[in-house]
Amino acid sequence: MNTSPIESWEGAEAYFTFADKPAIMMLFLLLAVAITAGTIIIAAVHEKHAYNNH
Amino acid sequence: MEQELAALTERLAALESASAMSGTINSEIFYWWCTALMIAIHAGFLAYEMGASRVKNVLASGIKNILAFAFMVPTFYFFGWYIYLAFYNGLIPAADGAAGLPWDMSMGPNLADNATGIFWAAFTLFAATTASIFSGAVIERIQTAGFLILAILLGSVVWILGGAWGWHPTGWLTVKFGYHDVGAAGVVHMVAGFFALGVLINLGPRVGKFNADGSPNAILAHNIPFTITGLMLIIVGFFGFLGGCIIYMPGEQWINIYGQPATLSAFAFNTLMGMAGGIIGAWVKTRDPFWMMSGALIGIFAAASGLDVYYPPVAFVLGTFGGFVVPMVAVWLEKMGIDDAVGAFPVHGIGGLIGVVSCGIFAAGYPNVDGMPPVSLWGQIVGAATMAVLGFVPGYVVSYILKVFGLLRVPDHIQEKGLDIVKVPVSAYPESYTPGPVNTATPAAAGTPAE
Repeated sequence: MNTSPIESWEGAEAYFTFADKPAIMMLFLLLAVAITAGTIIIAAVHEKHAYNNH
Repeated sequence: MEQELAALTERLAALESASAMSGTINSEIFYWWCTALMIAIHAGFLAYEMGASRVKNVLASGIKNILAFAFMVPTFYFFGWYIYLAFYNGLIPAADGAAGLPWDMSMGPNLADNATGIFWAAFTLFAATTASIFSGAVIERIQTAGFLILAILLGSVVWILGGAWGWHPTGWLTVKFGYHDVGAAGVVHMVAGFFALGVLINLGPRVGKFNADGSPNAILAHNIPFTITGLMLIIVGFFGFLGGCIIYMPGEQWINIYGQPATLSAFAFNTLMGMAGGIIGAWVKTRDPFWMMSGALIGIFAAASGLDVYYPPVAFVLGTFGGFVVPMVAVWLEKMGIDDAVGAFPVHGIGGLIGVVSCGIFAAGYPNVDGMPPVSLWGQIVGAATMAVLGFVPGYVVSYILKVFGLLRVPDHIQEKGLDIVKVPVSAYPESYTPGPVNTATPAAAGTPAE
């Protein structure tokens, strides 16, 4: 898989992976958001279990 | 002759280009190290919170603080930076804020943009500082999930909205009122302190903090040297924080966040003088090493709004005043039945308030740029009131909602047992722990340790 948005460094600007593929950028962004939000949910569930077990 | 002239012109252009790039890279380096120093603030809060906790809660307090740092980074990337760039007019976003959206081409490696990443990083660490300020106030009885929601709200939404309004070259508080707060006494410390107060009202005190008749009990820090070291680390980190409050202009004089000329020397004079005054004021009032180190912070905050313009003895006097007065606020808060475990509201909320308002008294009349109003007492009062409301209301309302849904407070029987044994898979002191003697003959003038 070619993740590079550039073929040469000459005149390159935004050169991060998938900079030329907005759909894949969005996919990773949404994945990062889901991890962040999901971890908070996991924290809440973990705490409820921990409190119920004590 | 013409060939020599052309060669000289070419060399001059190359030199100018090299000089400009050198300036750009120097700017990146400066903010890189400011950001690195600011991590010391978080390390300091971590040490302080763990030291201020009882043995049964040490690691839970540490985990909470580390998670605040971790969650601040992605959330400030997702929406914090956008809020700063877009909401400088109030609550309606401006179109040019789109540069802060996480899918913008400047929000990642870009050879045409050396600035965005480094400024985003510095502001993210400011956000982590606000979350840490709040974190200490609620130790030993807040649930992790509720805490994280509140920390994200404060660090990646609320304070940065205050930053867009009052710590931005075209923020409405600056444009309309000449609000002046170069060291973020209002936009960081007041907002975080008042947010913490709003949460504390709904969270309630730690089990055992107050007796049935409302009289307070001292809940002693388990490791006093650790707390004092933590406070010193916070002070070290604030030199990075305040360095990040001034703008490096390659080839030109520094400017402050409002575009007014400034020097890093001014910051050096007044940060140290304010800090020293704060230590002395707190020592005179309390004789308590907790408050002496907290006084150092209070002194910095009390001088923070006018760090760029004060005559250094003014910063010293303001620091002394803050260091003397703020411990009394902590005592008052305790009498009101509010358990602020580390004095976050007095130190940051009131210390910041002193900083903002005193700037309107002692720096009134300093000119602004681009036709904006000069510094005035009225402008500073409007700014202080805005920051207090902006901090308090979201903190109170969202913590109330979390309370209703059972996500705010750790049940009392779990608090009594201790959080570490309930939710942490390791022990802070697995081999032994022997409490030292407690001096009950000369209790501190102010009841609780503070940041």
